[in-house]
Amino acid sequence: MTTMKSNLHPSTEMLEKFVSGDLSVGVNLAISAHVEMCDHCKSAIQQIELRTADQWTNAESSSPAVYQADTASMIDSIIATPQLKEPIEEESEVGSIHMLDRSVKLPKVLAKAASEGLVWKQLGAGISQADVKIDEEAHCSFLYMKPGSQTPVHKHQGTETTLVLDGSMTDELGEYGKSDFIFRTNNDTHQPRTEDGCLCFSVLDSPLTFTKGLARLLNPINKLRFQRAVGSRVS
Amino acid sequence: MTTLNATMDHMHMGNLASKAEPASKAASTSSRPLTQSDTDSDEKLLLDVGNHQSREAFNKLFERFSNKIFAHGMKITRNEQLSKDLVQEAMMTVWQKAPLYNSDRGNVQSWIFTLTRNRCFDMLRKQKRQPLCVSADDIWPAGMEDSESLVERDQGSLAVEFSNIERFLTQLPEAQQAVVEKVYLLNLTHEEAAADLEIPLGTLKSRLRLAMGKLRQLIGTSE
Repeated sequence: MTTMKSNLHPSTEMLEKFVSGDLSVGVNLAISAHVEMCDHCKSAIQQIELRTADQWTNAESSSPAVYQADTASMIDSIIATPQLKEPIEEESEVGSIHMLDRSVKLPKVLAKAASEGLVWKQLGAGISQADVKIDEEAHCSFLYMKPGSQTPVHKHQGTETTLVLDGSMTDELGEYGKSDFIFRTNNDTHQPRTEDGCLCFSVLDSPLTFTKGLARLLNPINKLRFQRAVGSRVS
Repeated sequence: MTTLNATMDHMHMGNLASKAEPASKAASTSSRPLTQSDTDSDEKLLLDVGNHQSREAFNKLFERFSNKIFAHGMKITRNEQLSKDLVQEAMMTVWQKAPLYNSDRGNVQSWIFTLTRNRCFDMLRKQKRQPLCVSADDIWPAGMEDSESLVERDQGSLAVEFSNIERFLTQLPEAQQAVVEKVYLLNLTHEEAAADLEIPLGTLKSRLRLAMGKLRQLIGTSE
């Protein structure tokens, strides 16, 4: 995939957590897909990997996590297995999302995540959503906004991670284009809108709350949808 | 690069390097002793595992890294049994993928750290019975960093005079020249060449790919 300019990247702190494996699956997906499109973050990650591995290797095990096992028999069983001489090449199936007005080629990792098929639901006002059931703690979905549409004003109780995959959108805080990575914490109230249409990958770790007008009536429903989407029992 | 030039002269005469010479050369240089000492670098140990299936070297790597792998497991899973399983899984991956290790893409520590993180991620998802359509290797693909995809194609169709090739070869970085020399002029197998140069097989292959890509580019632009 060709790399395009991106204005918004995950913070260094997020990239560090991504490298050390401390993030939820959904956020990992969003960052990985961003990195696939962003040379800047690719090289940042190489540096962070070296740093993280160095700390890991040189860490004094202060609370001695003593590892004891029958080492010899474990090693025996391991070296009885054959070594790989060639990397296992996986056929990368090209994944695209076809919307009414456009087809969007997905970053590989998202194409994988979507490989079991997407079921689109209309949320109204020109916005559709397809859930990706992959993270039990967060609601992952593709969101598509038709040209000229806008979401109701809402805020987040938890965090919202959004990766723009195609088109563009704006909200009170800025303008976003392809490969931009947007991370919002609670209390950010916003109302995204799009002129030319926009496809995003979104990760929410708690339900949205609409803050204006009739859309507020949807709040109980949002909560239910969130619970269904992540398949957990949120009280 | 005297060997290279001498051999290139052979090529001028249409006489590709004879099999006898490289074979004896390979035998003499790759039969170095395989005994490991505590001061050996992680890289030397991993090379001996990858190029010579050295059990002793693997033992040493196990000694050096199993506690660290276990600690990573405890940090992420907080479960002793899972962390022990992780040691087995990660060290098994070290063994199996050692021939693919590529020093151009980072050091041994980061190689083992990232494969530990990846195995841990997959293990945990399996254990929680989460959908497995996306694996750790999808999220953190190997070689995330190289955007070019040079494949060895149409090697036979390089219809260029040998004198040109020689000139182009000297424009490559020395490490790449050495690899091309071993594989294309001395006719060593990839494994033999890697052992000879004391570099990981993966590194050899990537250098060869880069060298061939560059050569093809030079040949293409010269005409």
